[in-house]
Amino acid sequence: MVILDARNIVKIYGESLEEGSTTALGGISLSMKKGEFVAIMGPSGSGKTTILNILSGIDKPTSGEVVIEGKAISEMSTDELALFRRQQLGFVFQEFNLLDSLTVKENIMLPMILEKKGAAEMEEKVQSLSKFFGIDTILNKYPYNVSGGQGQRTAVSRALVNEPSIIFADEPTGNLDSKTSEVIMECFEKIVQELEATILLVTHDVFAASYCQKVVFIKDGVIHSYIVKKGNKKEFLNQIIDNLAVLGGSCHDI
Amino acid sequence: MTFKQVVWKMAKVHYKKYLLYLLCNSFVVMFFFMFSTLYFNEQIEQVKKLESLDYVLNIPAIALIIFSMFFITYAHGIFIKRRKSEFGLFIKLGMTNRDISKLLSLENTLIAFLAIVIGLLSGGVFSRLFFLLLINSVGLERISFQLNSKMFYFPIIIFIIIYFFAVGKSLYLILKQNLLQSLKSNKVAESIKLKSPKLGVLGLVLIIGSVLGLFITYGGPHAGEFLYIWFTITTVGLYLCLSQFMSFFLELAKQNNEFYYQRLLLLTSIDYKLRQLTSILMLVTMMIMITILYSTIIVSTYMLNEQEMLSRNPFDIAFLQPETKDNLSIADLDSILKNEENPVQQHIVIPLYSYYEKTYDGWYNLYNIMTVEHFNELTSKEVKLQGREYLHYLNVEPEYAGDENKVIQEWIIPGREGDITYSLKKTIIESNINSFLGLSDFIIVSKSELEFLKANVNGFASKLHLINVVNWKETRKTVEALEGIFDNEKIPPILDVRGENISQENPFQIASKIDGHNRNIHSNGMAFFVTTFLSIIFFFASFILLYLNLFSEIDKEKAKYQKLYNIGVTTTEVKRMICREITITFFIPTLSGMGLAFLYVISMTNKIGGILRNPEILWQFFSVSGIYLIIQIGFYLFAKRKMLSHLIQEK
Repeated sequence: MVILDARNIVKIYGESLEEGSTTALGGISLSMKKGEFVAIMGPSGSGKTTILNILSGIDKPTSGEVVIEGKAISEMSTDELALFRRQQLGFVFQEFNLLDSLTVKENIMLPMILEKKGAAEMEEKVQSLSKFFGIDTILNKYPYNVSGGQGQRTAVSRALVNEPSIIFADEPTGNLDSKTSEVIMECFEKIVQELEATILLVTHDVFAASYCQKVVFIKDGVIHSYIVKKGNKKEFLNQIIDNLAVLGGSCHDI
Repeated sequence: MTFKQVVWKMAKVHYKKYLLYLLCNSFVVMFFFMFSTLYFNEQIEQVKKLESLDYVLNIPAIALIIFSMFFITYAHGIFIKRRKSEFGLFIKLGMTNRDISKLLSLENTLIAFLAIVIGLLSGGVFSRLFFLLLINSVGLERISFQLNSKMFYFPIIIFIIIYFFAVGKSLYLILKQNLLQSLKSNKVAESIKLKSPKLGVLGLVLIIGSVLGLFITYGGPHAGEFLYIWFTITTVGLYLCLSQFMSFFLELAKQNNEFYYQRLLLLTSIDYKLRQLTSILMLVTMMIMITILYSTIIVSTYMLNEQEMLSRNPFDIAFLQPETKDNLSIADLDSILKNEENPVQQHIVIPLYSYYEKTYDGWYNLYNIMTVEHFNELTSKEVKLQGREYLHYLNVEPEYAGDENKVIQEWIIPGREGDITYSLKKTIIESNINSFLGLSDFIIVSKSELEFLKANVNGFASKLHLINVVNWKETRKTVEALEGIFDNEKIPPILDVRGENISQENPFQIASKIDGHNRNIHSNGMAFFVTTFLSIIFFFASFILLYLNLFSEIDKEKAKYQKLYNIGVTTTEVKRMICREITITFFIPTLSGMGLAFLYVISMTNKIGGILRNPEILWQFFSVSGIYLIIQIGFYLFAKRKMLSHLIQEK
């Protein structure tokens, strides 16, 4: 079952054809099936974050079409998009994007609160998710009182709380040390395996990418190549590093 | 590129930050200057001494200084907060403390200088305008706008002291602070301090306690001293309440998950805002409270005086026309009183015969003798007197009668051919004649008895004129004309001695509502003038504080709403959230300030019989608060529009 289908996405900043306009994406097509765990990699400025923002409806493409679960999001209004995002999509960001004025528990609940779900349902969902990610002991703490790993697991829980069709993760390990990154990536792996979630990850961390089933490499706004995991994680990691070397991007995160 | 050029370039890019800071400081100078044009005005100083109005101006002066201290420190804090990370970077790149101090001092001296110039200029213009508007509306024409050197020294010196204190403090902190902290100062999330629902409850208890204390002690002997104590306790209580009461409420709300989760964003944002802004909200609350309380008190005093004036002047114009000034006929009088726009509705002329009785201690009692027919006309009664009967009539409000309420069963008056005795029929105490005429004791006899007394007793004949017109407020010219005609220089009073060493003193008196009204305006006008002036200053200042506060954090707010937008919050919902936050920042201090002022008004009116017996004070309070609220709503809408356009347009 196809969850995400992007066809020929073009994004140009500034008026096209004018001097000073920048082509960030030059026609990217991508398709994801349910339960897939895909990473997008590429050097800085290759358009990784732009494609993620467009696929998730935060940004609009200059041309091209994005269809998620049969709905063309490019045609939605800003508010429709926001509603769609909170009902159908989950997000994990590099800076966690947790609200300081809410506790961990309330941050996880936030999408459900916006959907005006019942208290009992929310409690139950938060309890099961927090146990799943091992953060059930810090539920009443505030974001600035928890560690980076705990913060990111909170963000992952929040992304999952509305049972989204797909989860978008933008450099989720970017602010974390390698040990914590491992914990987070294991979390992602676990939700793909156990909850059959679909995850699209943007990263330049090869270690994080090695947890995925498929890595798409983009360069200068177009898809350069992709590789699919066949053997174990170690082999896949080496494969990614080789590919990046071909791509010419640095891989300082090894 | 030299370092100076770098600094200059940075300043040009961030000109908005400098401009805001400069404006805030200019405001302070302007407020001070406007106040000192009032405080050091020579004519006002004279009035101050005459009417012991010192306190009316001193309390606001102190309030203004305290407020400016907060205001400048706060504005400076915001300015520095924005620049700290910049300084951190400079230091990291090798700038010495000396350089930093030099840069900061130079920058701030320039800003201070500009602020003084702008403040004095704008203050001069606004002050002139203010005098024009207010003095005319209050009717204090004798006071005119003027400038003298004191007016300039006062704001400049006070501003410089406060300003450089704030600058010195932040300079010290920057140089002391470690580098990393300076660099990170923009990134560190504002931590939520202590959470203690118990302290919140304690705050509420303190507020209630202090109001009750005021209620009990205000009528007592040391009300003034106690007032300071209660006010201090209220302040402490308010601080605790603002910072902690919401956490108490949250604890309660959490008992009901369904209720709590549906309002989670609202409740937590109130809690967060209150904690983060405790001192600023408190300052604004206190300012609003003082402004409303002060103006309610003054307007109420004016209203009560006005009411008393009306009850003491039952007739619009009343005067006593002595014998020597009888040459003016009723027709002549009518020509003075004749005014097509404001015709006379009622004109009662009562002939009086006044007799002075020497008391045992050398004073004199004045008895005014009136016929029963005229008395009946005046009071709409139907009293009948026979023979040597008399009515003792006291022209005072019954509650003020006091010891005048003495019963003289037999009134004996020495006639030329021996004593004449009258027996008391009745004593009547009620106010029917304007009290300012000084006529309070009346002897009412029958018409024939009055004729008899005139022929047999030494006294003065006069005529009491009681006049009602359509609109007493338009009688100023008439009253002046009457005063002119009966002027003592034109028609001198009777100086010959009649009775026992009695001459006709205070020969001509006129008691009119308009005179009472003018006196009232004069004594309360000054206080009213100052209060209005300060209310306006405080009002704008509180708005600027709130506005500054909202916009100093705008980048942080933007980031927060971007976060929410990213996880799927619609623009409509973001708008609603922004509105809620602005509503909280604007209306929590306004409403709590009003609430506190209300409680204080209730407590203070306890002395004069409670708020329910003085509905006009209540009415005053609600009018003042209502006006305040309406203007605040205007400010709120303005700030909201600005805020929304700032935050939403970015998307």
